[in-house]
Amino acid sequence: MRYFSGVDVGSTQTKCVIIDERREIVARALIDTGANIIRAGDRGFAAALDAATISRESVVCVAGTGYGRFKVSFGDLQITEITCHAKGACLLFPGTTTVIDMGGQDAKAISVHNGEVADFVMNDKCAAGTGRFLSTAAEALDLQLDEIGEISLRARNPVRLSTVCTVFVESDIMSYVAQGKKIEDILGGIHSAIAARTIALARRVGLKPEYTFTGGVSRNVGMVNMLEEKLGHHLNVCADSHYMGAIGAALFAREHAQAALAG
Amino acid sequence: MHTPVLQESLEELVERCTQAVETPGFAEAEAWKREVPGRALAGCFPVYSPVELFHAAGMLPVGLAGGGNRMEIAHADSRFQSFVCSIVKSTLEQGMTGVLSSFDALIFHSICDPARNLASVYARNFPDQKVEYIHFPQNLGAPEATGYLAREYERVVVSMSELTGRAVSFDDVRASISIYNQVRSVIRDLYAIRSDTPHLLKTRELYPLVRYGHLVPPERHLEVLLRARAMILAREGRPKDRIRALLAGSFCEQPPLDLIAAIEDAGCYLVDDDFLQGRRWFTRDVDAEADDPYYALADAYANRSVPCAVKHDIRTSKADALVERARAHRADAVIVLCAKFCEPALFEYPLYRKALQAAALPHIALEFEEKMWVFDRIKTEIETFVESLLFS
Amino acid sequence: MADLQYQGHLHTLQKELMAEYYASLTASAEGSGVPAAYLLIGGNPVELLRAFDILPVFPEVNALQLAVRKQSLPHIQAAEFMGYSSDNCAYVKADIGMYFAGRKTPFATIPEPTLLLCNYVGCNVYLDWFGHLSEYTGRPAFQLDIPFIRTRSGTPSRDDIVYVLRQLERLVELCEEITGKRLDWDRLREAVRLSSETGALWSKIKHLTKSAPAPYDAYFDSVTMMAPLYCLRGTPQGLRFFETAYAELAEKAAAGVGPLETERFRYVIEGPPPWPHLRTFRDMFSRWNAVAVASTYSTVGGLWEFGFVHDPDHPLESIARHLLEWNLTNRNFLQRYAQIERYLEEWNASALVIHSVKSCRLFSAGQGDMREYFTNRGIPTLLVESDLEDPRYFSEAQMRNRIDAFFESVGHRTAVQGAGS
Repeated sequence: MRYFSGVDVGSTQTKCVIIDERREIVARALIDTGANIIRAGDRGFAAALDAATISRESVVCVAGTGYGRFKVSFGDLQITEITCHAKGACLLFPGTTTVIDMGGQDAKAISVHNGEVADFVMNDKCAAGTGRFLSTAAEALDLQLDEIGEISLRARNPVRLSTVCTVFVESDIMSYVAQGKKIEDILGGIHSAIAARTIALARRVGLKPEYTFTGGVSRNVGMVNMLEEKLGHHLNVCADSHYMGAIGAALFAREHAQAALAG
Repeated sequence: MHTPVLQESLEELVERCTQAVETPGFAEAEAWKREVPGRALAGCFPVYSPVELFHAAGMLPVGLAGGGNRMEIAHADSRFQSFVCSIVKSTLEQGMTGVLSSFDALIFHSICDPARNLASVYARNFPDQKVEYIHFPQNLGAPEATGYLAREYERVVVSMSELTGRAVSFDDVRASISIYNQVRSVIRDLYAIRSDTPHLLKTRELYPLVRYGHLVPPERHLEVLLRARAMILAREGRPKDRIRALLAGSFCEQPPLDLIAAIEDAGCYLVDDDFLQGRRWFTRDVDAEADDPYYALADAYANRSVPCAVKHDIRTSKADALVERARAHRADAVIVLCAKFCEPALFEYPLYRKALQAAALPHIALEFEEKMWVFDRIKTEIETFVESLLFS
Repeated sequence: MADLQYQGHLHTLQKELMAEYYASLTASAEGSGVPAAYLLIGGNPVELLRAFDILPVFPEVNALQLAVRKQSLPHIQAAEFMGYSSDNCAYVKADIGMYFAGRKTPFATIPEPTLLLCNYVGCNVYLDWFGHLSEYTGRPAFQLDIPFIRTRSGTPSRDDIVYVLRQLERLVELCEEITGKRLDWDRLREAVRLSSETGALWSKIKHLTKSAPAPYDAYFDSVTMMAPLYCLRGTPQGLRFFETAYAELAEKAAAGVGPLETERFRYVIEGPPPWPHLRTFRDMFSRWNAVAVASTYSTVGGLWEFGFVHDPDHPLESIARHLLEWNLTNRNFLQRYAQIERYLEEWNASALVIHSVKSCRLFSAGQGDMREYFTNRGIPTLLVESDLEDPRYFSEAQMRNRIDAFFESVGHRTAVQGAGS
């Protein structure tokens, strides 16, 4: 059996996926990128090989993606995660028209046509609307990042934030805590503000269903819920949404190997 | 709110103006337009707009003042980047959400680069509305500047006449100058009352009274201002132990009313400010009898208007003017309150700081955004500043 | 990736001539007695200064030189320490920081201004900048007020032209006062004639990139030619530079040689470059074999390629027209859309890249609308953001990611369209 791998070295986490010739996912690995970005790609790939219990040699082609794609020293090709997210989303949800990707540093909206990127926009310099904003908020409330989404679902009277600036949101949060607002209402307000901003971003590529939600923040049920509420439409999300960039990269690795074989 | 309630108290009047100012949309102006067929609305972007010209053309000049803190910007930030001030985006957002659809014309001025580009973007997105851009000379004091501005005003009036189908005579313009002179004169009075007896008139009260003029015909505004003045003069009270502060910098985008209240509550009497500067632009009446009323308006702009960051006059230093103004109002301190990303206001600050330090006038520099909703941080900063003055 | 080389003869000659120019600035600073006028790039009326032998000094050119040489940050920080905001134009901050650091730069000592000639050509920051310099230097500022193009016709009115002419006449009087010399009209006509020939050559150079492959990059190589266009225009050396440049580039065009080995993408670029990271930015395009065939930035000082020429027989009037109508900065934002549309069509480009710089809101404010406009017309359009002077505002990984994704997508679209046709 021949295998293909995609390694997505992101700013906070590194994701690696191995697929087989029938495009079935045979292994996934997720590790923190940490300070050593070159090691992150290696470690992620090694972890995925372990999970698949296959040898390094049986993986015939590896594609790097994400910020660290050029640091995947063993990669055969490099593709941006924008192109990869679109590719992966179209495999898992073939009806995808718009991909919303929220990662650690970036928020992106990608419009997809025939499985390829037709247009994309990303957040500007301002980090509002990204995973970083959520981790700042979680830290300010002394909560774990993976619990805030769940808590936000309990909001009855979500607060209004006066800023979506990552630098200033902390003082807004502290003010609300001091006023005795409930944690869930504060979190409800935060999720609402980011969802609104993300939809404003997606509007620039045209809001067309089906929507597929990818990236680390897609694991946050509060955000999924809030985006669906504001879009008035269902979002495609699955357990593999977080791995979408790596899945797309693996698909490109497979195509690359087949083209090489044919060529 | 057309019929004034009999024996309305000052507090009720202020509340009425507050409601009008804080309610999104332009209901009173739209009602005015519907009353008589052929009437038209002109939306005037800050800072100063020659409202007389639109009034003379049979239009109601409505002051645009951004979206306040109750509007979510969902569309306009796809057109203007995150480093552009809020009022540019909220004005476009109002257009994109239909809030400005009853306006026949939108007027922009040469005040800053984002406002300049907004005029173009607005024109492209709303081809059915007339967009005018007024070039104010930036060489005030130059011999040719006033005459040029007078001709620019005539150009704009001709453009508005095309819209309304109504020719504008010199007498029309003179009459408009006259009514706005009266409005500005009462506003000057109210500002003087607040400076002399700030315990009798809060800025939180004065501000909505003045801003109400953005939304209604000048005749109606004048009537409100006159009633307010009479009631204020009848007020009694004793001054409290507070610092007298002059607030500079918020001439275009406007802070939320709650922020103004928060500043006063932090222990300040605001004895002068830059809010809504365009509504009280002239230091004295414009000549309403002049042979050429366009020239009279232009001359008042060039030679008898207040200093402002968006007006360039090399005959005087704006920083020195600020110090003089602080002294004239017996201010203990200056609060420089700039709208976030407002480049003209931010550019004033280094020179302000130098001049204020040289004059030994304490100051604090703060930034705000119209969409602010939580004021704890800024309030703490001002309280700390006030304490440092009271205990020093 | 092999280290790319972009240099040709014109780059060498540019270095020589600019070194001479900077030497003249240093000489003036050190007491040569030649008066110096600070002025701004937008539609600059440099010809008038030539007639009086006044040295033109462009604070924008100095600021960008500081950025290219990675010297801008300490000056920016010094200005921020004085109270300038992180949201103020970093050209201004770098210039003011440099002024208070003794006007010494690695390329020249900048003379104190004898005159601050503020040609207000649309950019409102110009007014603050020169107002502040006037405050700090104690020297007079002449505010040359140029009415913005604001009517549907897109051309200045007769009133506008007369108004600018009156001001130019007063400026002449001021220069006479400063130099103690009467205006020599023959010298003015001669400077305007040199400018008209220089402008005509520059226009021909601009049209050369209509060839495929384009003989030079109309963004990254145009900036090399822009410094002489401002600092040397109206002099014989300036004309010589453009004769040399035209000859070299025309030869390349005829030989079918471009700046890259192959030309895969032809794009139009809008906005000033990220001077502190110019080389890094250029490489991001080169690795995709993408060449800019036209740039709006190269028209801030003057828009010659659409037909403008100075007229030696009407020197002041042609200076007035240059200031009013024939430069990018005094034109409105929608005129810029039209300019880009012409580039896309006539220069046969298939994509638009918008480099949005925070410092220059004249350029950038509203570029999201521009993106929308061109995207709706089926033009692949990328908007990326950094700054023209502040090195802190550039994120290499983010920038590369966006550019790579853009060309991945444009490349795919081109392939699909190619297969379909």
